[in-house]
Amino acid sequence: MSLLEKLLRSKAVVWTLIVLPGLWPAWPFFIRPDSSALADPLKFVLHHLGFVACLLLATVLTFSPLRVLFPKWGIALALNRHRRLVGVSAFVYGALHFTTHLVYEGGTDVSTLPSILRTALEKPFQLTGLITLTILFVLAITSLQVFVRWLGGRRWKNLHRLAYVAAALAAYHQAAARKIFPVQVLWIFVPLLLLELARIVRQRTHRPPQTRRADAAMPAKP
Amino acid sequence: MLIRTPKAWELPESIVTPERDYELRPRRDFLKTLGLGLAGAALGSRAGLATTAGFPSKVNPDYRDPALKPTPYEYITSYNNFYEFGMDKADPKPNANKGWKTEPWTVEIAGLVNKPIKIEANDLVEKMGGVEQRVYRFRCVEAWSMVIPWDGFPLAKLVAFADPKPEARFLRMTTFLDLKNAPGQRAGNLEYPYVEGLRLDEANHELAFIATGIYGRAIPNQNGAPLRLVTPWKYGFKCVKSIVKFEFVARQPRNTWNIMAANEYGFYANVNPNVDHPRWSQASERVIGGGGVLGSRQKTLLFNGYEKQVAGLYQGLDLKRNY
Repeated sequence: MSLLEKLLRSKAVVWTLIVLPGLWPAWPFFIRPDSSALADPLKFVLHHLGFVACLLLATVLTFSPLRVLFPKWGIALALNRHRRLVGVSAFVYGALHFTTHLVYEGGTDVSTLPSILRTALEKPFQLTGLITLTILFVLAITSLQVFVRWLGGRRWKNLHRLAYVAAALAAYHQAAARKIFPVQVLWIFVPLLLLELARIVRQRTHRPPQTRRADAAMPAKP
Repeated sequence: MLIRTPKAWELPESIVTPERDYELRPRRDFLKTLGLGLAGAALGSRAGLATTAGFPSKVNPDYRDPALKPTPYEYITSYNNFYEFGMDKADPKPNANKGWKTEPWTVEIAGLVNKPIKIEANDLVEKMGGVEQRVYRFRCVEAWSMVIPWDGFPLAKLVAFADPKPEARFLRMTTFLDLKNAPGQRAGNLEYPYVEGLRLDEANHELAFIATGIYGRAIPNQNGAPLRLVTPWKYGFKCVKSIVKFEFVARQPRNTWNIMAANEYGFYANVNPNVDHPRWSQASERVIGGGGVLGSRQKTLLFNGYEKQVAGLYQGLDLKRNY
């Protein structure tokens, strides 16, 4: 077992990897003042949290295609131990991003909430973000063991396929946040897209071993 | 690398004006306040600070609303859009100061004019009778705002200098094109060179201004050295930077952002809280340097607070359709 694999199997390491990027916005405040970030610090925080949410969502979705494509690769197996943790953390960052948006738009004045939400529903750019967050919320809640049991494996799996819808919406939302298409979106979501395509191709050409065994066990037709 | 060598264009922290000290004095007083005294004379010719003619500027008392609190110099010069040097607001400051030369700088006045001319920027400033300081609100289409003490001259003076022919109805302004030194132009993130336009009556309006300085000293490269347009009642993208050509034309020119996304950016670009951007509301704006971690937000004013002065230009014009 490689060192990287050992590290990635550890919950503590994965927790650290998830929490650290959330602390990054503190850098311009405490470590090295950066006037570009401090010009409107909350905007810096807002964009950063959204960015990390997108990154974690794209990351967690690569886990299962990696396992399908490289079933014997230790790192892929190690990563797949943390699907729930990383998935839920994408939701948490998304929720923090949305909360920051509310404060960014309305400060601490609660009476501004209705108009902020109305704007969010009116603008496709903002609405896609809101739908993404709603999906992630549902997926995070149903990750609780009790819901997994209540839904049953097949229904749970189908429900959690909504994660792909969330990823597509998140990519749009992130791109629309800028006046010109940001290349960043591509390097976050294109690798995921390629992995998913490779997985689909793989699953079409190689049937899983159980099915093959089942076929083999079937009596040959006379 | 752990040890940072300050670049020539990086102003020391000590030079940044604390707001309480800054009372919009003429440049000499202003530098004295900073304890720079005569050293200030050399400041204008530092690398990255171009077009030094006309300084010290004289404060124009007509454009010095005491209610406006200027944004600190460090934010004005490190948080802005200049897509020629990158798409992030932190990009222009480092990228516009890596060898891009803004002095000497030739400006061309062309098109339907009686006096076409190619002239060096400093000579142009001399011809305009030097520079004055005006404090204007600045509102970006991205819903953030600043208050900027600009130094420069009224655009109307340049129009008079060019002596347009009667058939000239619009002024088309073009930014430099330098693929070698402008990474954004090389990447082609917009259609370059950047072009903007004004109706001739807008260009002749008393508020329309060509800035060659900020806070009493030559404008830094990242803010559009050596000379840029400032139309405070319009969104910031209208304020074309580092102009190389003023062309008087008969037909309405297409401006760069309108070419990029016509449904989002129009020709007029007048600040209007009642006409939303398709992706966000324009009803309010973040105040840059608003203080604290949460910062602050204020209501956006029609024509960015210059309604009294400019509303007359747009009588009978449907502002919702002509955004």
